[in-house]
Amino acid sequence: MMPAAGRVEAWRDDWWRRRRTRELALIACFLLPSATVFFLYRVLPLGWNVLLSLQYWSPLKPARWAGLDHYEEMLLHDDVFWQALQNTLIFIGVSPLAILLALGIALLVNSDLKGAAIYRSIIFLSYPLMTVAVGIIWRWMYDERGGIINFLLRESGVATKPIPFLQSFEWALPSVIVAEIWQVLGFYMIIILTGLQSIPPHLYEAAAIDGAPRWARFWRITLPMLKPSLFLCAVVGILNSLTSFDLVYIMTNGGPGHATELLITLIYKSGFGQTKFDYAAALTVVQFSLLLALTYLANRAFGGNAGALQR
Amino acid sequence: MISRRTLVKSSAGTVAAAALGMPAIAQAPKKISFLTWNIIDQEPMIRGWIARFAKDRPGVEVEWLDKKGPEIPVFYQTQLAAGTPPDVINTQGALGLEYAAQGALLDLTPRLKDEADVRARFNADYLSNWAYEGSNYMLPFYITKTLLFYNKPMFQKAGLAGPPQSFDEILASAQKLTASDASGFLTLNFDWLYWPLYAMNEVELLSKDLTKATFNSPKAVEVTERLAKATEAGAINKIAWTGRWVEPNGAFAAGNVGMLHAHSPAYFFVKGQGKWVTPETLGVAHAPGGFATPNSHGLGISKASKSPDLAWDFLKFVTNEGAQELGVNRKLVTGNVGVDTRNLAELEKNDPLVHAILKTQLEHTDKMVGNWRLGNDSRIKEAFWPELQNVLLGRKDAKTALADAERKVNRELKRG
Repeated sequence: MMPAAGRVEAWRDDWWRRRRTRELALIACFLLPSATVFFLYRVLPLGWNVLLSLQYWSPLKPARWAGLDHYEEMLLHDDVFWQALQNTLIFIGVSPLAILLALGIALLVNSDLKGAAIYRSIIFLSYPLMTVAVGIIWRWMYDERGGIINFLLRESGVATKPIPFLQSFEWALPSVIVAEIWQVLGFYMIIILTGLQSIPPHLYEAAAIDGAPRWARFWRITLPMLKPSLFLCAVVGILNSLTSFDLVYIMTNGGPGHATELLITLIYKSGFGQTKFDYAAALTVVQFSLLLALTYLANRAFGGNAGALQR
Repeated sequence: MISRRTLVKSSAGTVAAAALGMPAIAQAPKKISFLTWNIIDQEPMIRGWIARFAKDRPGVEVEWLDKKGPEIPVFYQTQLAAGTPPDVINTQGALGLEYAAQGALLDLTPRLKDEADVRARFNADYLSNWAYEGSNYMLPFYITKTLLFYNKPMFQKAGLAGPPQSFDEILASAQKLTASDASGFLTLNFDWLYWPLYAMNEVELLSKDLTKATFNSPKAVEVTERLAKATEAGAINKIAWTGRWVEPNGAFAAGNVGMLHAHSPAYFFVKGQGKWVTPETLGVAHAPGGFATPNSHGLGISKASKSPDLAWDFLKFVTNEGAQELGVNRKLVTGNVGVDTRNLAELEKNDPLVHAILKTQLEHTDKMVGNWRLGNDSRIKEAFWPELQNVLLGRKDAKTALADAERKVNRELKRG
């Protein structure tokens, strides 16, 4: 027979187990609705997409096994894929510049600058605008004949003849990127500003007492404390770059040629324009892998635990 | 407590009652759906068609769906995948052939054979635009092809007597019309609408059996180089190779472009935007050689339709009684010869300029080009057009670009 102390311990163990079980059941209940939605609308389509990328498929034809044919086509024969990948990487590569710009603006509007609140509102105003509207506005601003940018460049003597911003191979991608940065700048600024305002002032006071110069305070206090905000901006930047479908579609539709083609616009065109859903699926797999890799790299760059919950 | 026997009995009773109710379901109204391409502005007319069609056919319902151009392929293909495509579908350009090649559309050939009077209604050249591998999949709903619009005051100022009669004259006239704030020529470029420029130079895109690219010839290189040079010189407005619909038509409407090579609906856009447009100032002509690329709207029946006979009835109704009203309301031609003859006679009296434009749509219909009966037209276009754009906008030389395009087009043709 078990001694009394042992029985109590066993009972406690059991009780703990049952409580733990109950807790787990409760957690599962809370998680189940969102987990189901996540599974049905994210995991399942993604899995099906991977399968589709390994088949020949169109809506009315039975699927046939294709193996890696679509990937071979993409990697070895499709120059448009490489152009779209390059453009996407350029789009992503420009994100840090936009974040840097937003950081500068956030520092300015966080200072004692007169009218800082007004500047803050003005800069943020671009973000809630519909991307389609942003695309149309910028398209007209870039217009070769009636656009305000060309008008100002010519009036100020910077340009002698109109620049075909969206019609030239050289200018089209930078022009779309400028519009993209303009739209997202306000969002980055607000995120960074929130980060700035949550830095405890006593850190600066202590540094000031210790005689730390301004740049040292920026490098040693501001920047490290802004890490989570900057990480968020970087991830949003990567996501935006990979999903800038509407802006490109409205402004250039990927042209001229494929000068502004992104992976996302190529996926759409392959699937819905050319009924190559199987090939579009393979492109999607590549884009998803790119997204995973870049998010991992961004996380590593910010110390490896950015975005982690702090208990 | 209910015994097992009672339970079985009552279940059987319920099933029997449900079975008795079946005829009621069978007698439920027959319903078809009708998907149109961005003609929501014609709602009263279409609702009227549906009401008149249903009135003569008790119990019949027609559900009307309208989608904008870019939404149609997405919508239709998702519906196809779901197995619930609209019964009657309206498509533009070569899209109908692509759907036919996929097996999405019903072959209308046997019905047209059985009802010769229906077949005889239509202009045969337009009807044949929707023939894929010898079978006909669509009927003309409203038809368009390219023509040449020109700005008469600009022509007068440049000392030009009339519209160009050859490719050389197009380029020469364009050059004469060009000034610091004006350019000579513009063309729409989507759906092969620029192809007459090559056809008038006897350049063929594909072999007769549509299995091989044939465009990479010295003549094509020469034509492309000349177009690129004229673009570089400003005689051809760059928008011709970069804009879609609004931009080129808008540029011509602004009044400082000499010629616009576009399909007939462009007129209404240009007229709406250009205050200068009157019968005295806007000239209308065929492109040299009478070559034109069609960009018509057709109506077909989804193969998955559960009521193909009713859909066919509706198709015949819309392309006959409906066509009359559509032609008058929207000032267009429908491909229904009788309807168009009547409507054009009225227009000649009431609106001579529109009459002149629409008349071109019914002439030289044997010279329609850029309408290859391909099941993968969009892929061929995507393989060819960006390379051509590379030359026309000065990024590549013609020889290299056409060779690259040839490789890509042949690859797509092999894929089928």
